[in-house]
This record gives sequence, structure tokens and C-alpha cells, in this order.
Amino acid sequence: MSSFSMRWWVAVAWIEDLIREGLKSVDEVEVFYVEGTSVSADLKQKKVNLATSSRDCGLGIRTIHNGRIGSSSTNDPGTWRECLVAAIASGKLSTPQTWNGLPEPVSFPASPLSFDPALECDPARARDLLERMLEGAAEHPAEVTAGSASLSVSSVTFANSHGIRYKDRHSGVSLSLEAIHRQSTGYEFDHACSLKDVNPRNVGEKATFFACKSADGKDIPTGDYPVVLSPLAYAELLGNVFIPALNGRSVHSGRSRLAQSLGQTIADPRIEMYDDPLLPRASGSVRWDAEGTPTRRIDFVRDGVLQTFAYDLKTAYRYGKKTTGSAVRGGFGGLPAIGHHNFIVDGKRGNVSDERVVYVHNVVGAHTANPMSGDFSVELSNAFWMEDGGFEEPVRSAMLSGNVFDLHKDIAGLSKESRAIGSLILPSIKLNKQHIIGK
Amino acid sequence: MGGVTYYDLRHVTGQVTHIDIDNGVVESAGTSFFNKAVLRVLDRTGWGVIQIDNFTPCTGKKFEDLIASAQNLAGITEEIVELGDVPHGILPVPPMKEDPRSVSIEEKSSLLAGIEEAARHPLVTNRRANYNERIEQVRFLDSSANEYAYEICRSGFNVLAVASRNGNVQMGYEREHTIHGFDLRHRQESGKKAAGIAVALLDAGAVKGGKMHAVLDPELAGVFAHEAVGHASEGDLIQEGNSVLKGKTGETIGNTILTIVDDPALFEFGFDPVDAEGTAVRRTEIISRGVVNAFLHNRESLAAVGNGIAGHARAMPGEPPLVRMSNTFIENGDASEAEIFAECKNGIFLKGSRGGQVDPGRGIFQFNAEYGYLVEDGECTKMIRDVSLSGEILSTLYRITLCANDRKMSPGYCGKGGQSVPVSDGAPHVLLLDAVVGGSGVD
Repeated sequence: MSSFSMRWWVAVAWIEDLIREGLKSVDEVEVFYVEGTSVSADLKQKKVNLATSSRDCGLGIRTIHNGRIGSSSTNDPGTWRECLVAAIASGKLSTPQTWNGLPEPVSFPASPLSFDPALECDPARARDLLERMLEGAAEHPAEVTAGSASLSVSSVTFANSHGIRYKDRHSGVSLSLEAIHRQSTGYEFDHACSLKDVNPRNVGEKATFFACKSADGKDIPTGDYPVVLSPLAYAELLGNVFIPALNGRSVHSGRSRLAQSLGQTIADPRIEMYDDPLLPRASGSVRWDAEGTPTRRIDFVRDGVLQTFAYDLKTAYRYGKKTTGSAVRGGFGGLPAIGHHNFIVDGKRGNVSDERVVYVHNVVGAHTANPMSGDFSVELSNAFWMEDGGFEEPVRSAMLSGNVFDLHKDIAGLSKESRAIGSLILPSIKLNKQHIIGK
Repeated sequence: MGGVTYYDLRHVTGQVTHIDIDNGVVESAGTSFFNKAVLRVLDRTGWGVIQIDNFTPCTGKKFEDLIASAQNLAGITEEIVELGDVPHGILPVPPMKEDPRSVSIEEKSSLLAGIEEAARHPLVTNRRANYNERIEQVRFLDSSANEYAYEICRSGFNVLAVASRNGNVQMGYEREHTIHGFDLRHRQESGKKAAGIAVALLDAGAVKGGKMHAVLDPELAGVFAHEAVGHASEGDLIQEGNSVLKGKTGETIGNTILTIVDDPALFEFGFDPVDAEGTAVRRTEIISRGVVNAFLHNRESLAAVGNGIAGHARAMPGEPPLVRMSNTFIENGDASEAEIFAECKNGIFLKGSRGGQVDPGRGIFQFNAEYGYLVEDGECTKMIRDVSLSGEILSTLYRITLCANDRKMSPGYCGKGGQSVPVSDGAPHVLLLDAVVGGSGVD
């Protein structure tokens, strides 16, 4: 630890000054500093139209004094004194609460979980990725409308007045391609922390495949159908409605439909839901959360039964719970709030299209679902009749209506493969009976 | 700077003040700061763009080095980008009635607490109120010696009430955001209204999905205009071939009573004194009496596509500008609200919105109403819970058959390409025949 902390000291002496300065006025100080660079290249139809490089930085400061939490942020670390003054002033406005201290330091393996040292933010590499996507796209006769490839690396420095001095690094590559065939669109994307784990050719091929395959769809009569939601469609509904209902703050303040459901069956018994922050090479992996709490696996749902909610320090202290290490920050310099790292839905896997089902690749308008009640009505996008994994007749246009909470009790199976959609890792799910409104 | 045919620099500094009150507890309150710039260069082919956090304005060698790095990036581009000729100029930002900076954060917090407190009700399990105030100092310059600077302050609040009974959880949500200055005084009514809606929704029914006539309130009809027409008329999407409105200029695609406009010069929440490329902003009539009239453009899409008006480039601080809507609305018609309900006769009346989404290439959109009422024999009867509608751009506009003359704008934010910008949408009350309504109700 000692030689490491020496190097650390030299690199960010101003953070030590900041903590010292803050302790003159408050009980505790926490500093989060992130720096990153990225490059991206964007297509307009089949030609590279724009290349971007960016240099980002963000400083977030929290102060705690007599149970009052203050915060501020800036992306100009040179003005940390102003930011500290703003954080302390902010603490004076907040309502005091029970507070039992920021975490103490522990030692971690030095190797970052979601970082590939071989990844470089090189514009030529971004262009190569676009070219490989275009090669894949050429497999089907759809027109490419837009596409993007980006590469990023960032480093995070985290310190608090209890002696925590942590560093972490992240890398990322993300790809997307959009295509159109007559009046039928297709979209595909991929992301990972390493170039080895993305498949640009496949992204291109899938985008034009969906555009072509969805052309000349047929109407579907209104009724109840067995439905398979792809990982992408499922992620839209889960991320907008279900996961926020597991947030301890929402639960205790009366904003979660799951508030009274601990110990109850909320999903089909074959379903497990958990957060695994320590999964190597997954995009949300971290050894410590946004408040410096060591992370661990959190089992939210086991055998269909709700086991726990997610907590950060603030919410845990207030409601007499333990933090689950679920604090995350939104973007550069964002303040900590309850979230998840790698949210995984798992369970017994099998064939989800052994009978004829309506396969829904994506949905339009999931963010308009009612986050409290869970009711939703979304337009289908790239929907097909499917049997034994084969895409059959496309469905032209229809709405899918239901309830995000209730549909979990109707799950009839999980596909063999899972897929990462941002920080969610999900299978396709088969639902016995869902309501489709035809046109 | 050899080879550079164009550059522009947009530098935005500012501060954000927020207050979050949750069930009577001030969860957080305070001020954060930002400083972001974006430099764009055209060098023979396409764009080289550099995004810089914590930017210090510079000249001479330092600036030339920045240009050179952007040129280097542009080296990987292949498409030859041309820029349309546009009028330049800046509008004055309207003076604020009360500058939020002259009000202490303690007073703001106590006013917000009053709004939150007003949502108190025995069935309301959660009340939450947020205040947000964002002050931006924008500086723009380009290689043709155009230079603009302005400051704009956007502020406002949201209040949420969650009502709960026997596992049924419903919400009411009210928001007010403005460019006209501090607006937290005498607003308790918003808290009360949010609570009233949340509680009333506990007894509301679910609508049965299918086709029915719908009366849309001004807020929802504004979202309809935004999703059904606005996005599909954005010049960058037309240029990419990703909009069903491509090549439709001069064609009739809707009822002759329907005119849809985007106007960044309007002093509403989406107001821009000058666009993010230094182009003068002006009213753009996207649909004129049912006919596709003008696309929304930036300089690049104006040159590539034509048939429209530039001045619609917008950007978040530090991000490259995209073609975006600003204040989008359906023009007033000459019907009265009473005539609209009488004409609807049997159907639904829909109010408020959590937004919508569109696939412009496929020409299909979805949008959501927070709540509504059944319309039976021209009268509003039973309350119904949130309802979503979907439609096809090229056929739905014929089914707007009546527009009232009571247009009202509502503020919001619109997302595209990872950027969120302030907008407003609006309309008068309108009648939409044979709307496709999603719902899981059985009767």
C-alpha cells in the first residue's frame, strides 16, 4: 500500500489539499474525480461524415457535517475551492439525518475489472470498425442510414477523509448501425470493454437483416398471444419500470410498487435476478461503489421471491439498513445515487420458440410506461412470428399492452443465450399470454 | 490552418442550482458548475470535432494547434460536406421578470417546500418536488468572423404525488419550466393538482385497446405534433434517407385545417436567440394546410436536401450540434372546444403526457397520455388511467378533423443522439378520429 499511496500522492496532491481544507469546516469529505478521453466516427449513409475526439473531466465533492450532506460538482478541477465552498453551503440546506460515517479503506486486487490496456482511442481504429460493420451490412439489400463507432478510456480517482485512496480504470467500445429497406427499419448495436468482445460485422449484418426481414409485414388481429421479448425489448421495460422499484430510497419513501413485497413471490419461480458487480469484462463492473463501499453480489429475486432492495449509505443509515454497495454516479462528476452495476436475469434456460410465438425484437415508447403502476402500451418494432428460432412472417404494426410487474409471473421460459444491453445482462423471455392490439 | 474551409467554436459556461424535497426532507440542494466547448472544423471532406471540458479561450499558436488536431480527425472522413448559405444574427433574450439569482436558495427551498406540502393527502404515500435552475453563458465564433454571446436562464419545478391503496399505485405529476424568470411563487396549486390526479386515478379504469375517436388536450396534441411530424421533418434524417417525409415536399399528407410549425424565435421554453451554428432563427412552417412545406435544417442538411429553413441546429454544452426542434405546435383552428366534444360524441378525452417516440424511417410513432375520460354522447364521464396511442405519420394527419382556437405551449426536454435539449410543444384542443389506443382493459 505504501509505495502505491506515494505515487498517488504525487499525482493528485490537490485532492489532499481539498480534503484538508474541507476538514476545517466539516466532519467528513469525499472526492470523486474522473478523467477520460474518447474518439468516435459517425457514418451518414455509407460514408464517414464526422470524427470526434473528446477530453472529459469531472470533480464531485460531498461533505458531511452533523448528519447534513452537502454536494457540488464542476468539470474544472482548478476551481476546486469554489466547488468545496458550494458543497459546504449545500450541506447547510439539507435536512440532517442519522449518519454513521463514510467507509474505511480496505485493500483490493490491483487489476481493474472492466479495462483493456490494449484499447486505444485511435480514430483510424474507429473507422476500421465502421468499415467492418459496412461489410456485414452488405449481406442484405437494405440501405445504411447512419452508424457510429466509439472508443473510450477513463480513470477514476476516489478519496475520502477516512483514508480511502482508490483508483480504477475503464475502457469501452461501442458500435451501432441503422438501416432501412423501403419503409422498414433495422437497428443493431454492440458494446464491451474490450475490442476482442465486439463483433462489428455482426452488428452490420443484423441491422440490414432486420430492415429487410421486417419489410412487407402483415397485420395481426387484436388478441392474447404467446410472446417472446428479445433482451433488447425486455431491457426497455425492465430498465424503465422494474429496476427503479428495487431502489431502497423509492421503496422507503413510498414510490415503489414492490415496497410491500419482500419475501413474496413476484416472478415465476424459475426466475433469479441479481446484481453481480465483480463480473470480469462486464461494462458495469467495479470493486467499490461510488461511495467507496466494497461491492458484492446482491440477490434481489431468488426462485421468484423478492429478497432485498438496493441501498447506498445515506438511505441505509436513514432506514436502519445496511448498504448493498449500490451507489453509482450518473456521468462525469454526477453525485452518488442508488443504482446497479451489472443487473442479471437468470434461471433455467431452454427453447423459447418451440411453439409458434410472436417475437418482439424492440419496442417504441417504453419510457412512457407508468413507472409506479407498471402499466405500458408500446408499439412493436421488428416483430415476427417465430417457430424454433426461425424468423417467419413479419408483423407490420401493432401495440403490446401489459404490466411490467405482472408479466414476470407469466414468464414461461428463458432463452439459452444472454446478451448485455448497457449494464443489463438478459436472456430473451417467453411470456404465456400477452395482449396485442392490431390495427 | 491550410485546407480548413470552415471552423466554429461554441463555448458554454454556467451553473446549475437544484433542490430536491422528498416527503418533507430536503434530500439535496446546491449549485454545481460546468465549462464545456466544442470546436468543429471542415477540411476538404467531413467534420473533425473536438470536445473540450474546462476550456480556456485561446488565440494564436494554441488555437492553431486545436484546429490542427481537429483537421487530423477530419482526415478519416470521406463525405464531402457543404454548408448552405444562411442569414446570421441574434435575437435579444427577453428580460426576466425576477432573476432567480436575486432569490436566496433558502427562500427557493421554502417556496418549493410549500408546493410539496400542498400535495399532502391521506392516500398520498409520497410527495416529491424538484427545483432546477440552469444559467448558461454561450459564446460562439466561426471562421467567417461571426461572433455571438448571450446568457440564458431556464428554471422551473416538478412536483410528483404517488397515491397508493391496496397495492394499486398511481401518480400525478405537474411541471412548470420557463425562460421568463423565477417562477416558484404562488404555485402551491400544482402540488394540490398532482395529489388530486394521483388519488383520482386510484378509482380510474383501464381503457380497452382498439380504434376510437380521441380529443387531445393542448399538451398531448403538442406531443403528437412533435412525434408525428417534428422528428420526421429533421433535415439530417431526411439526408440519411431515414424519414418517410423524404421527397414529399409539396405533397398533401394531412387535413387542410392542419398547420404545424417549429419556431425557435418564440419566447417559449425552446427559445434560442441564435442557433448553435450562428444561424439566425425563424419560424418554419413544416406542414401548411396539410401540405409538406419546409424541413428543419442545419447548414449541412440545408445544402444537401434543401426544401426548408436552417436555424434549427441545437446542442448541449460541449456537444456537436444536431438538427432539433425548439417550440413545435399545431396552429389554432376555428372550432370551439364544445364543437370538438360534440363531434367526437363517443370516444376518449386524453390529457397530459410522459412523452412519446417515433421511428421516422418506418413512419410509426407512439405517444402517451397521463390520464383521460371516456366521452359518452359528447360528455366526459368515467376517468381512465394512462393510455398510449400509436399511429402512422402518412395517414394519421388526415384524421385530425377539428382544431380549436385555444393553443397552449408546454415545456419539456427532447432526446436525440444522446443529447437532451429544452423544447416546448403545444396545440389547441384537437379531434383525432379512429385513434389506435393501447390498453389492457377488458371493458
